[in-house]
Amino acid sequence: MLCAPLFRDGVNSMKNRQKIRPWTYSLPALILIGIIVVFPILYTGYISLTNMNLYHWDDYHIIGLENFARALTKVDSGFLGALATTILWTVLNMVIQVVLAFFIALGLNVKGLKLSRFYKTLLMFPWAMPAYISILLWRVGMYNTEFGFLNKVLAALGFEKMNFLSENVPAFISCMVLNLWMALPFMIMMMDSALQSVDKSYYESAKLDGAGFWKQTWYITVPAIRPILIPSVIMTTFTTFKQFDIVYLLTMQKGSLSGATLQTIITYAHQNAFVSNNYGLSSAVSIVIFGFIILFSLFTNRGVKEEA
Amino acid sequence: MRRKIAMILCATMVTTLFAGCGSGTENTVATSTEEGKEETSANEGEVVSIWHDGDEAIMKVIEDQVNEELSDDNITVKFEKKSGLTDQIKLYGNDAESGPDMYMYAHDSLGTFVEMGVLSPITDVVDESVYADMLPMTQEAGNYKGEQYLLPVYFETLLFMYNKDLWEGEVPSTTEDLYAYMQEHTDADAGTYAVVNQHSTAYNVSPFINGFGGYIIDEDANPGLTDEKTKEAIEYNKKFAELQADGDYNTVTTLFNEGKAAAIVGGPWLISGIKDAGINLGIKSLSDFTLPNGNSLAPYSGIQGVGVMKHAAEEKKDAVAKVLTAISDPEVGIALAKEASCAPANQKAYEDEAVKSDEMIAAMERTAETAEPMPNIPEMSVMWGPAESLLAAVNKSGDDLDAAAEQYQKEAEAAITDMQ
Repeated sequence: MLCAPLFRDGVNSMKNRQKIRPWTYSLPALILIGIIVVFPILYTGYISLTNMNLYHWDDYHIIGLENFARALTKVDSGFLGALATTILWTVLNMVIQVVLAFFIALGLNVKGLKLSRFYKTLLMFPWAMPAYISILLWRVGMYNTEFGFLNKVLAALGFEKMNFLSENVPAFISCMVLNLWMALPFMIMMMDSALQSVDKSYYESAKLDGAGFWKQTWYITVPAIRPILIPSVIMTTFTTFKQFDIVYLLTMQKGSLSGATLQTIITYAHQNAFVSNNYGLSSAVSIVIFGFIILFSLFTNRGVKEEA
Repeated sequence: MRRKIAMILCATMVTTLFAGCGSGTENTVATSTEEGKEETSANEGEVVSIWHDGDEAIMKVIEDQVNEELSDDNITVKFEKKSGLTDQIKLYGNDAESGPDMYMYAHDSLGTFVEMGVLSPITDVVDESVYADMLPMTQEAGNYKGEQYLLPVYFETLLFMYNKDLWEGEVPSTTEDLYAYMQEHTDADAGTYAVVNQHSTAYNVSPFINGFGGYIIDEDANPGLTDEKTKEAIEYNKKFAELQADGDYNTVTTLFNEGKAAAIVGGPWLISGIKDAGINLGIKSLSDFTLPNGNSLAPYSGIQGVGVMKHAAEEKKDAVAKVLTAISDPEVGIALAKEASCAPANQKAYEDEAVKSDEMIAAMERTAETAEPMPNIPEMSVMWGPAESLLAAVNKSGDDLDAAAEQYQKEAEAAITDMQ
């Protein structure tokens, strides 16, 4: 009789311990995330409620939601235009990336292809290079009006020199080509490993049934690699969506503006939030844009899940 | 056993994690202050730290010269390079423990630092006579709202630099003749140019804007992008821009250094690259070019000056005063000119034979007559963006000047309102 409560206590304490144990294990990681991710967001939230700016550097105080009222009037037409550009940028980049990577990976997996390992290593190159260097190399080595490869080709063919980055449409395409160059290797690698995991016997039986290349691709390859590819597509979608350095370094670097006025939401946020030295207002703009991005990613995430 | 290992690993991870959180700057500053303290106790002298974001070779010249002069006073000056100085001063400007005692930087951020409340006027520490010999233009640059905050040390401005082996005949003395020369000697398809300039960078277009009587921003922080004279200057610059390649910094300097452009409009910071490229360099002051309206070209100038932090002005007044006096000595200017090719702010330095005979420094001194210091009000920091967007829109994208000027004037006004 006496044993029962003791036993129950033992079970409870074990249950408690089991509840606590995972938390203690993940505590260091949680602290780290708290310091690096959560604290800055909360602090930005706090600053957005104050009048911290150049003229109130040490003597700032809480002024309520005034900054948000100003931020919302700022986030008007410019923001919507930037959002539209960003969506177009993401969609175009992703579609081209997935389709191109798929066919290049198929090509790399053709039976009897000589030196396929060599090609794969070569294709990895753009991915291994630091983005900052690739972008500046492209700016000078490819697009530059005087020394760029593209203009050398144009000149050799007898055409006039072209400034690829001075107007929005050519600049958008130039940025996209560079982004594809930089992002394709990852996609190709993913596709390549996914393709290698497909059971070859499916193709053999399909061949016996008389299916050609397109039918095999559509009914066997695509469904077979889809579950493996979805995580990498989601990841790449996010990195493409928040792409900043390509657009910034190619067209809007301080002191060497190219003339194009392309804005993605991240370059827009940068331009509106970090040049005025008004930290209160900048924080409010950041929080508003942060909110938009969260909403947008929830929306896309749900879309992707449904599709999966 | 396993639990113990796990505990040890966990503890190590947490310690390293927090060790990593310490600010690098604080650490270095702390060490240098400690070193300073050690020295203090050893020599019973005082250490005055000056933060800068410039060329360390230049700072070394000043440091050596000043320390030599102050050797009897037991004061040591330490120049410390801090990249992104503006941000560093925002963080440590009012911090007597980890921050600097003085700083040396271009004058255009002066207004920002004063409004933040980190600087004391130098007149709180030294007498006006200390900076009386400085070129008037450089004194003006260090003056904000009627108070002198910077002791000018040296200045930079734009020059007309040409390749003597490529330039045919005399360099013209009017901009119209220069344009005619450019039309004759430019072959964009072949990639050879008469004159190149960063034609869409506000600093490099300032000789035209100021020469036409226009302005980017006035003293009362009104943007001047839609000012008729500014627009006239931008329109005039456009015809030159058409013959000046892309106008990107890397493009124009490479064109000149590779002998594909006969002349470049640029500052003294280009000299070392030009010398390395083996160009037979000739220099002409921009003040020696006349615009169609009869005015000379009037480039912006940037003055490197020394300012005093509020806490240092109170706590180390005597030492700071001695340092300022030592820096104002013409010998510092002469050393800067001879060893680092800088144009000194001190007029007396130009009496030295070696300084007088240096072609570039003589041209800089001459340009100082028409050069205008960049505005030093805080609002200028948000003007570069809209002004350069306007220039790029007009020169590179072929946008209509009036419409673009309206658009970027509004952007500039909004940016200025956002500062408040």
